[in-house]
Formats: sequence, structure tokens, C-alpha cells
Amino acid sequence: MRQIARTWSATSIGRCCAARAATVDLVLEVTGLSKRYGPVLALDDVGFSVAPGQIVGFLGPNGAGKTTAMRAIMRLVALDAGTVHWNGVSVDPAVRQRFGYMPAERGMYQRMKVRQHLVYYATLSGRREAVARRAADAWLERLGLADRADDVIQTLSSGNQQRVQLALALINEPDLLVLDEPFSGLDPIAVDVLSELLRAQVERGAALLLSSHQLDLVAAVCSSVVIVDRGRVVLRGEVAELRATSPTRIVEVEFAAPTAWHPEAHVATSDDGRTYRIRVDEHVAADALIRDAEQLGPVLAYSYSPPDLSEIFLGAVGGDSAVVLPVLQAALAEEPAR
Amino acid sequence: MNDDELRPLSTVAVVRLVAAREIGERLRSKSFYVLTALLMLIILALGIASRVAGNDGADTLDVGVTALSGSIEDDLPAAIASAGELVGRDVEVSELADEAGARTALSDGDIDVAVIGDTRQVIFDGLVDDETFGIVTRAWSTVEIVEGLTDAGLADDEITALLTTDPLTALTLDGEDTTGLAILIGTVSAVLLFLSLQTFGGYVLSGVVEEKSSAVVELLLVRVRSDELLAGKIIGIGVTGLLQFALSVAAGIGSLAISGSSIPGEVWSAWPLTLVWFIGGFAFYSTLYALAGSLVSRQEDAQAASAPVLSMMIAAYLIVFIFGFVPESTVSRVLSLIPPIAPLLMPMRMAAGAATVAEVITALVLLLAATFGVWKLTGRVFEQSLLHRGARISWRRALATVGPRRSPAPVKDR
Repeated sequence: MRQIARTWSATSIGRCCAARAATVDLVLEVTGLSKRYGPVLALDDVGFSVAPGQIVGFLGPNGAGKTTAMRAIMRLVALDAGTVHWNGVSVDPAVRQRFGYMPAERGMYQRMKVRQHLVYYATLSGRREAVARRAADAWLERLGLADRADDVIQTLSSGNQQRVQLALALINEPDLLVLDEPFSGLDPIAVDVLSELLRAQVERGAALLLSSHQLDLVAAVCSSVVIVDRGRVVLRGEVAELRATSPTRIVEVEFAAPTAWHPEAHVATSDDGRTYRIRVDEHVAADALIRDAEQLGPVLAYSYSPPDLSEIFLGAVGGDSAVVLPVLQAALAEEPAR
Repeated sequence: MNDDELRPLSTVAVVRLVAAREIGERLRSKSFYVLTALLMLIILALGIASRVAGNDGADTLDVGVTALSGSIEDDLPAAIASAGELVGRDVEVSELADEAGARTALSDGDIDVAVIGDTRQVIFDGLVDDETFGIVTRAWSTVEIVEGLTDAGLADDEITALLTTDPLTALTLDGEDTTGLAILIGTVSAVLLFLSLQTFGGYVLSGVVEEKSSAVVELLLVRVRSDELLAGKIIGIGVTGLLQFALSVAAGIGSLAISGSSIPGEVWSAWPLTLVWFIGGFAFYSTLYALAGSLVSRQEDAQAASAPVLSMMIAAYLIVFIFGFVPESTVSRVLSLIPPIAPLLMPMRMAAGAATVAEVITALVLLLAATFGVWKLTGRVFEQSLLHRGARISWRRALATVGPRRSPAPVKDR
């Protein structure tokens, strides 16, 4: 109830309505972010929102502006234009205290002890020392680092350092988590642990924005995505909805034996030359394509499905086939694992 | 957990936390103890060495006398000792067989001066020391006078009464003769400040660069302001620096005690004022070093960036050695108000009694204002250059940030 009241008071009367106040209590709203660095337009009218209970994947090729946008949310970048609101209020240092941040460039005091570092950061955030100490121990326990609490950070493996870095972002039970490439450098087990942890944070009621290059991970963890390219948002929405409303469909055909086939709009072939993925328009029936294939040899299986996240991503950022093919082939190779 | 706790802390609270971390980190490092212990040991060793080298402290005058006869032989050693005492010198007199022996002792350094009774000669090794010659002459003539008075039939106590005089006091036109000592104290504190700034300014410089190059700063700046972070850092390093400095000074006092020397009382009464300027100068120059550190993101570039600070310090230092000796002059008066010079020049002028209260307060206020200005500028530069990797920022560009907010250099997305 308190949250709703806060929304009411913070939102201008003209924009406010009861339904909005009831459903949108704590939300990050980014609108019209623009930032120019000399000749480079790092952000160009970027806008999206992240609601509590939501994990939003922030995707884009290198140099698309992800890190700059995340820094802008944390008020580390002076914007040329645009606003960042939390719960209808412009993000100021007081609001920001309730955000947790994991920068792309990892950095900690290498000569500090693990627990000491966590306590230091929590007290800088305004926690009393005793509370900070309890929170630090609880997080070290949860991340399996309790026995390393009194070790100096530089003696930790890079995976464990990454965990401490994550603990720094999580220690204050933040309302909003902004994590820049949280999965990079983690082994598959650590990725699983982290995914579980992030889900728990979201269930607790946190909103989560994370950037990643690992599209399969994003597909597994995120409910929504925002795709940026050259500073602009090119696509955003819920993953399921984006797949359903995509104007293209993927037809996958598996031959019994390696077969040479050159269909139009062919996007990928598996290494053994038996499986083909073909992008077709939504309204095109696949029957003709299948019949075409069956004339070349026995077809073991075929499917007709909406594009997966990586195909949506590549469609959105306009990757040409030279870039597209290797990525898609990699995605294809992982198919059996799913 | 209580959410209301997560408010931004006050500047004082942040500075205290950051400074405490900085002090803690330095006090945990072995190098701090090794360096401090080494420094103290060297200083103490100097005192011990000077003691072991014999009672040959600068203040003790060793006089050798030869081939005396009669009452001169009996009285001269005591007369020399008391003549020395009148001008504040400890004297030790030893008797030598002959002139050849005296010359040998002189060239070996066993004695400072030889008095050859037969020939009425006073021999020095090297230059004739007027003060020593005066002491010996005075003693000799006293003994001769006593001899003459005894021959004239006066009793010993009558002679003693005749020869006892109240000591004289030396004065200058200004009153007491303290200018020499004041300039000495001022010079010593200027040298100490210069040396300390060299060391601790370097710590501040590398500390700021470390913060930038380690990227930890991106995490911190979402919690605290950059100028708060810098203030905490400078204060933290300053406190450990002063601690190290105090230990060295304590060792120095111990060393002097071991060597048998003493410290003039004026030094003790002058130190609180000197300390105020010491801290003021430290704050000003450390902040400039922090500004230099903010311009670069790699340790390799730090020295080059701090060169202008070093030049400013050396220039101020030279000015002190030119104008510190004319504390009353208008030039000196004006120069001692300028922030980079004040911490070095003002203590000398104050000790010489040449500075008015208004001047001292003006100089302190200007120094404080300049330090505050540099601090705020440094915070700004630090924040703007935070995401600026690689090449260092020119001083001109840094100073341009005083104007309206401008974008830092391009940032590569990762």
C-alpha cells in the first residue's frame, strides 16, 4: 500500500490512472537516453522499462551502447538527453542506494579480505556495521565462500572473485539489479548457480536488467529482452511474444543421409550436411519446401516453428549471412542439448 | 532489513569510512612497518654512532696543554673550563708531554686545539677558530692576573671576588636575539615539509591512480561522491604519513639524547604553530598530487603528470630560501600570503616575529580556500576521467572542466 501511495504522489495527475498505479508500483523507466562521444552516437533515444519480478536481457553487438546505457542508469554518465525514473521518481543518489550494480569491468581492492570488502561496501551504502557484517556472512554462506571470508581477495580464483563481485551487487537486497555481463567467465555449473540466484532475487521482488552475449543463457533466464544496435533500440518485448509475432518462421528439415540442397532463404546447415534450417515468411506454408526436400532424398524429420532468440537477435541487428551463419550453426549444434 | 537505512551517508561519515579503510590497509601492509622501522633505526644509529665516536660531540671542546710551570700548570685547566662555560661550551682539558706530542694529538683529532705553554702558542688543526682562541686567551690572562694579584699579596677569596662578574646578555635592536634560531626552525620545518611531501604526495598520487586503474572506483561511485572518496583517501594517507613522521621525529629526539646533545627550548614552544602550517601545506600539496593522479589511469604516466606539482613545490622552496631571511620586507610579506608558498614561508616569518595576526589569518584562509578549490576540481576531473582509459588528460583540459559539464572522451562499449 505504501508503494502505491508513493506512485500516486510521484506521478503527475494528468498521466496517472488507478490501473497504472495498482499494477506498476516499482519500475525502472528509461526514456529517450541520448549520449554522444565526439563523433560516436553511443545512445540514440533509448527507452525501455524493467518491472519487479522481471528479468530483462539487454542484448546487442559489441559497441551497441549497452554498457553506456547501464552506466547511465547508475548515473555514472552525464546524459545529453533522456530520463531514468524509478517508481516515477528521477534517479538521484538516494534512490540509487537501493540499486545493486555489477560493472562490466570488474574491480575490487585486491588486498582487502573478502568479508571486510563486503562490509565496507555495505556500510558505504548506509548500513550500520553490525547489519553489514550479518549481511556479508549470510551472502558468503549462500555463495559457498564462508570458508574464504578471511582470505585476501587476490588469493581467490577468478570464479570466486566473480562471486564476491556478485555479492557486492546483492548485499543490500536491492530493488533493482543492473548486471553488466554477469555470466562472462563462468563455467556451466557456476552459470546454473548464478541463474538460480538471480531467479530467487526476482521472486523476492527485485527488478533485474542484465546484459549478455550468451543468447542461449538469456533465452533460458530472461522473460523479456531489449535489443540495441548502434545506440538504438531495435527490438524489445517478452521473448515468447517476440517469437510469436515474428514475421518469419523457421523450417527445419533433417535428411536420413547427407544431402546437397540449395533452398531459397536457407540460413544454416549442420556440419554433417543432414539438417537444414530455412527462414520463411510467416504466411508461407512449409508443404512445398518439404516436398522439395523429399525429392532429394528420404526426410527423417521436419519442423515448423517460430525463430529462437538468436535468430530474432540476428534479424533485429541486421547481421549479414557471413556473420549469421557461424552463430546459427553454433546454435544448431547445441540443439540436441536443449 | 530496514530500508530506511539505505540513505546516502553524510560527507563526514563517508570520509571517515574511506579514511579508516585507507589507514587500515596501510597499517596492515608489511612495507609500512619495515620502512618506518628502518627509518627509525637509521636515525637512532646516527645517534649511537656519534656517541661511540667518542665524546666528540660538536659542543665539547678538547684542549691539550703542554709544559707548564708553577701555578699556571695548576690553574690553567680549570680556567679554560670556566671560560668555556661562560660562552656555553663544554671543555675537556688534557695534559700533553711536549709540542711534538701535541701536534700528533691534534692531527689525530684527539684534541681540537693545543696550548704550548713555553712558547705561548695556540695551535689549531686547519683554520684558527676565533671563539676557541678567545676562550684560551681569556683563561690564560685570568691565570696571569690571578698570579699577579697573589704576588701583590691578595688572599684567594679576595681575588675570586674581584674576578667574578655577572654574565652579560646579548641583544639586537629588535630585542632578544631569536631571529637566527627562528630562521633555523623555519628552515628545518621547510626541509621536513618538503621531504614529507615528496614521500606522502607520492603515496597520494599512486593511491589515486590505483583506484582508477583497478576499476573498483566504478563500484564506489554509485555509493559515494568522487570528492568524498578523494578527501577520505588524502586524509587516510595523511594520517599514516603524520604517524610515520612523528615516529621519525621521536627517533630523532632519542638520537640527539643518545649523542648527548640537547634541543633548544625555543624549538619546543614553536612546534605547535609549525605543525599547523605543516598540516596545511600537506593538505594543499597532497590535493594537488591527487589532481595529478586523476589525470592519468596508469602508474607509468603518474610521474609525468605530477611534474608540474613538483616544479611548483621546488619554486616555493627556492623562494623561501631567498625571502625567508628578510622576513620584514614587503616582497616577503606578500609572498607569504600566496597558498603554495605560505606553508613554507609563513612559519619562518612568524617565528621571527615579523608576521601580523591579520597576515597569518589571511594566509591560512587563502590556503584553506585554495585547498578546497583544488579538492572540488579534483573530484570533478576524477569523475569525468573515470571512464577515460589510456592516454592522460592535459592539465589545460582538466582546468577547463571548471566550466560547464562536458563529456569525457569516447567510451568503448564492451
